[in-house]
Amino acid sequence: MALIEDILVYGAITGAVYALLALGFTLIYGVAEILNMSHGVLYMLGAYMFVAFSAKFFQLGLLWSSVLAVVFVGFVGIAIYALIHQVIEETLAVLVVTLGATLVVQQLIRMPWAFGGSHVAVLSLLEGNITFLGATILYEQILAFVLSISLFVGVWIFITRSKIGGAMRAVAQDREAAMLMGINTERLYIITMFISAALAGIAGLLIARPVIHPRTWETPLVMSFAIVVLGGLGSIRGSFVGAFIVGYAEIAVVFLIPSGEYLRGAVALAVMVVVLIFRPAGLFGKRMEIEE
Amino acid sequence: MVASYFRRAYSSFVTHILDVPARLLAFLFSILLLVIPLANPGLYIMFVLVLAAIFAIFAASWDILAGRTGQLSLGHALFFGIGGYTSAILYKYYMLPLWVTIPIGMLIAFLVAFFVGFPCLRVKGPYLSLVTLAFPLILISIFFMFKDVTGGEMGIYAPSILPIPPYTPYELRLAEFYVSMLLLIVSSIIIYKIASSKTGILFVSILDDELAAKASGINTTKYKLLAFAISALFASLAGGFYVHFLRTAGPSALVLTMSFFPVIMTILGGIGTIYGPLVGAYILTILDQYFLKTVVPIPDELHAAIYTAIVIVLVIAWPRGVGRWCVDKLEDMQEVREEEIEKKIKRKN
Repeated sequence: MALIEDILVYGAITGAVYALLALGFTLIYGVAEILNMSHGVLYMLGAYMFVAFSAKFFQLGLLWSSVLAVVFVGFVGIAIYALIHQVIEETLAVLVVTLGATLVVQQLIRMPWAFGGSHVAVLSLLEGNITFLGATILYEQILAFVLSISLFVGVWIFITRSKIGGAMRAVAQDREAAMLMGINTERLYIITMFISAALAGIAGLLIARPVIHPRTWETPLVMSFAIVVLGGLGSIRGSFVGAFIVGYAEIAVVFLIPSGEYLRGAVALAVMVVVLIFRPAGLFGKRMEIEE
Repeated sequence: MVASYFRRAYSSFVTHILDVPARLLAFLFSILLLVIPLANPGLYIMFVLVLAAIFAIFAASWDILAGRTGQLSLGHALFFGIGGYTSAILYKYYMLPLWVTIPIGMLIAFLVAFFVGFPCLRVKGPYLSLVTLAFPLILISIFFMFKDVTGGEMGIYAPSILPIPPYTPYELRLAEFYVSMLLLIVSSIIIYKIASSKTGILFVSILDDELAAKASGINTTKYKLLAFAISALFASLAGGFYVHFLRTAGPSALVLTMSFFPVIMTILGGIGTIYGPLVGAYILTILDQYFLKTVVPIPDELHAAIYTAIVIVLVIAWPRGVGRWCVDKLEDMQEVREEEIEKKIKRKN
């Protein structure tokens, strides 16, 4: 039956890109305890900047546009960090400032001299398609899948093997002890923010297609919440598993239920709520201090 | 007899209101607001003031949950939307007047709060924020499935608060203004009473140290649910009035931004205070709807960007709230003055 295969294939693709998106979100929370409400807008900026470099303002090659777009998003991430670093102790102020940054970026994109408020087409990275397991897949989707998985593995190796990765894990475990060991937390936060934002940008670049509009940030933000909460905040393994659960849940609803497109987001969120009822700190999260 | 009664009323007014800076400010501000319509400021300013009052109730309802018990809900639009949609749907199918439908909406929100609050109690901190964020979005998807009932994108019509037509737009606005002020004042007083009652103190004990509260034999689950329900009650009241004020119940009452409004307003004003959300709501609504449109006219497409940038600057400058900062300053000044008076008395002795 083609239906099952469709779900399997598309669910895997969605899950892989979501994993990348959620990885950035969970990384910055794990290391700096920043709930970054601008993660969705960084995702969206990845796609918009790609459009800017490849078609709208410069006509660079696809590869160069992608690289520049991702680096640009990384620096936007650092700019957002610069805004919040004064109030980093006040969780709520961080929340409001990152949220505000989101709205500012949304409005700037909406400007007539930028991209305008309507839909903008994104150039295709790879033309053509292939039939695999009875499902028609665009080459672009295969690229997204392969790139996401390899980047995810790459970041994982970076965190578990490299020196900076070790510093990140140290800060995540105990910030003060890490500072006493001579780790420059400020610099580490900036690096983490850059990586986190760049990952969001790559995810947006890969999957926010074929058209984008200034409110594209909402769904990925909510989805990265759902995934990260599902897997456990700050847990990389959790965000991987959570991404595939949410990806499959979404795709299954779209294929199985008539007019399921409306329920796409709702089902992913419902899955999250149900999981949390049984595991209050997500699948792989650290237990919070108080037990029921 | 009458004179002594007045004297006593006056002296209690002095001790309870004039001598407490926060209350004095609140008192002056409400007098100012109530007097504004006499100056006949025009339809638009009145519109802004009604909107601000609605958001003030909404923000205050969030504050009693988040600022008192520390349950940082990011999905408060759920209750706002339920209040609004219930009222409009009941009007659509049964033609009930709004003084019946809004209380029904509040009742439903109250019950939903128990339903939603229950799973939320198991999760804590950021998890709670993210879970609550999900609920209004789930509801909005469900509403889009049943387009013939909820009107989908377009929403459904809700009547204005004055039922029988012979009135000018300004009279209607005036009526809306006084009703909104009445609702705001009554809700703030009730919220203040709850916050200063034993229940309110138990709420704060959950915020301060939940484990210690539990160890002292407080049923924290019960009080957290109660906070959720009280908060839902006022949020749905604001939502109901909002819908009848704008004449439509649409998805805008449930979207992400609507959930964030009370959060931003409360944090800007000062979380965990009673006046904070009100200050925040008035500052932000007037800044957004009036100041940046009339006083310093900013082109439409730049408007939201500049408005948000100002909010960011305000929050970075006063991370604990503009309102709280002002009141702290006033109280400091008062302390200094009292110390000086004491010194003078000592010197005389």
